[in-house]
Amino acid sequence: MLLPPGPGFAAVGAEFIRGVAAATGIAPRLGDRLALIAEEVLAASPPSAGQVSLALRDRRHALRLELGFATADVDLAGLDQARRQDGEDTADVGLYLAARLADRLTTEPGVQGGLLLGFDLARAYPARVAEAPPQALGPVHGVPLEPDDATLALLVDWAEASGAGGPVFRTAARVLDQRAAGELAALVALDARRRPLGGLFWQPFGRRLMALSGPALLLPEGAGRAALATGLLDAALGRLARGSIQGLVVLEAAPDMPAEAFEVVGHLPDAAGGQHPVLFRALEEDPGGIAWVPAALRPWVTEQVRRLGLGRDIEEPPPPARATGAAMAAETDRAAGRVTLRPLLAAADAAAVAAGNVALFRGQGFSQFRAVLDLGRPEHAAFAEGLVQAGLAPAALIPDAAGDLLLLAATGTSR
Amino acid sequence: MSGFALERLVPAHVRAFEAYVPSPPDDVLRRRFGVAHLHRLNNNENPLGPPAASRAVMARWEVGQAAQYPQGDGWHLRRAIAGRFGLDAEQVILGNGANEVIAFVIKAFCEQGDNIVTADRTFAVYEWLASFSGVTPRLVPLRADGFDDAALLRAIDARTRVVFLCNPNNPTGSWWDHAKLARFLDAVAGRAIVVVDEAYAEYAEEPGFPDSFALMARHPNLVVYRTFSKMWGLAGLRIGWMAAAPAVAATVRKTSISYSVNLLALDAAREAVWDEAHIAATRAHVREMRAGLAALAGRLGLGMIGAIGNFAMLRLPIPDTVAHRRLMARGVMARAMTSFRYPGWLRVSFGSAPAMAAFAEALEAVLAEG
Repeated sequence: MLLPPGPGFAAVGAEFIRGVAAATGIAPRLGDRLALIAEEVLAASPPSAGQVSLALRDRRHALRLELGFATADVDLAGLDQARRQDGEDTADVGLYLAARLADRLTTEPGVQGGLLLGFDLARAYPARVAEAPPQALGPVHGVPLEPDDATLALLVDWAEASGAGGPVFRTAARVLDQRAAGELAALVALDARRRPLGGLFWQPFGRRLMALSGPALLLPEGAGRAALATGLLDAALGRLARGSIQGLVVLEAAPDMPAEAFEVVGHLPDAAGGQHPVLFRALEEDPGGIAWVPAALRPWVTEQVRRLGLGRDIEEPPPPARATGAAMAAETDRAAGRVTLRPLLAAADAAAVAAGNVALFRGQGFSQFRAVLDLGRPEHAAFAEGLVQAGLAPAALIPDAAGDLLLLAATGTSR
Repeated sequence: MSGFALERLVPAHVRAFEAYVPSPPDDVLRRRFGVAHLHRLNNNENPLGPPAASRAVMARWEVGQAAQYPQGDGWHLRRAIAGRFGLDAEQVILGNGANEVIAFVIKAFCEQGDNIVTADRTFAVYEWLASFSGVTPRLVPLRADGFDDAALLRAIDARTRVVFLCNPNNPTGSWWDHAKLARFLDAVAGRAIVVVDEAYAEYAEEPGFPDSFALMARHPNLVVYRTFSKMWGLAGLRIGWMAAAPAVAATVRKTSISYSVNLLALDAAREAVWDEAHIAATRAHVREMRAGLAALAGRLGLGMIGAIGNFAMLRLPIPDTVAHRRLMARGVMARAMTSFRYPGWLRVSFGSAPAMAAFAEALEAVLAEG
């Protein structure tokens, strides 16, 4: 649906979304949240935005409202939650509310130029008791394969019951929905009775990487477990080779992940006060590239580039062209007390905006902070200074010749 | 430019394909990795360069000829090749590198919805060209690092148009002998074109290596690829060729591109046909370097495979992509094999003796870092 920007048609857009939600069986509570987001964004859209497209997508495990703008030069500052202050104009307040109503906010270039805003609302799954795996599983039979739904659900149930694999291997219905939406891929090893013995999952991480989760191994302790983990990893590497994916990232490795197949590209602090390694496995040769690094981070990045043997031209980024209006997107995980910040729009006030975001979420009780800067995009560097001032420190450099990802992190509710 | 909807104009199989991005030029690599020199052991080039006669052609080449188009289909070179292998000149088709000839064959025999059959761990270009042409690549796992004849036969179905064999296989160096290839062709029984890519055939000293041109008389569905990039040291000029039975060659000629091979390449390649002394010298070099690499692998406790060809693969205890970067930082280029679906393996070309010595020293240092 296409609508003009501004308050005049905001209610029309809201009713359209509410109607589509009702017609497709979406719970009224979610439908109302989506409608409110559409209303607030449309109302806050300036006349210069041109026609705004609205689309509602059912991603099964989440609902996604997309608002498309013909121009990329839309003022998104109101989407930045840190900007909510008394006395701001009503348009900004509306966007602020829209951002708060979503579980996840993304921006990406539109198909024909312009800008696409995506607001995700996670679906809730009823709690259930997972079935425990049988005692006499194995041995491995054949090569790991993409499982059918029943096998995948069984793997997740058994992994959940036995505490294997980590948080991604929980709630079978959600995992099935994630895979059906194309946002999760799985490989599973089977025994001769075609029962799952272990599995490995991967999900998109940034533009050209995948985040690897697992392995969830159901075999008892013994020699077979290591071979099973290696077999799953080799199969995953073979499956992803010769495609668009440049590497695999492991943010929280399960104990059985074959660490020797990875390199350690940094360490993330955890809630308990310790830290754990960030693992990386490149799928392609790294021919070198450009890293746009702000002065504050240059010594750390230079040291990591040297340690990892990366071929990089480390360049000083130019200042942002815009004077004001910088914005960051926040992805929150309230259960883990974690917020992940990513640049939305760079401007000369980016440092203040970054620091303001961290302060805001600290004030809301979040204790784990992560920020992801793409060093292939010079404009991202403008946010670094504010993040560092707010207590985040560089934690990992994830190599990608087209744009290394710099992961900054901090733990604690106060500095 | 309103109204221009690029996505609408791009076929789905092209949208889905990820463009290949070649490595930057050596000067850029040297700067990025902070080294003064790079030993090229990643592209299976011949460190001895072209044969003497080809060098002479290039040395006396009159630069003013660059203003002229080449003869359109390599008249003289096709006759030289045909004479060497007992073929008719019309059976030989030239291309701007063997990659172009692969494209000629796919274009000639495949349409959308068809498939090709090849191995999962072999030269990537068969798979890539099929994919972005809307043709499904059916990839058959290697068995014991070699092409699996029985599995390939099982993969052939009614929509299979071409079976690509790489013999010897890049990157494993495994190979089929004459009898095995003949049995395979018998079993295919004309259901599909069978391409045998023999880019490294001139390195084969084993008496059982196939005489594919002889098999062509009995199997008119057989197409043989050769290249001047490997043994003949003309990789920079980009010239390859194929031979097929007359009717098959006539069909492929319809989709071939005339004038795509440049004048200098045609002249240099013509002089290279068929310099036995150059072959002997190159083979001797390869034997010596292979023995040296095997000794290094033994000393470092690394697995090594590769029977035929000017390359071998080493099994590393660290990720191959990490080793690649660390070797680059020491001035040595080798090929990480994860992208060939051989994670943990490194392919090394048999370069010059100094380059191989530099590789050995660098690899020992890289592995010592852990």
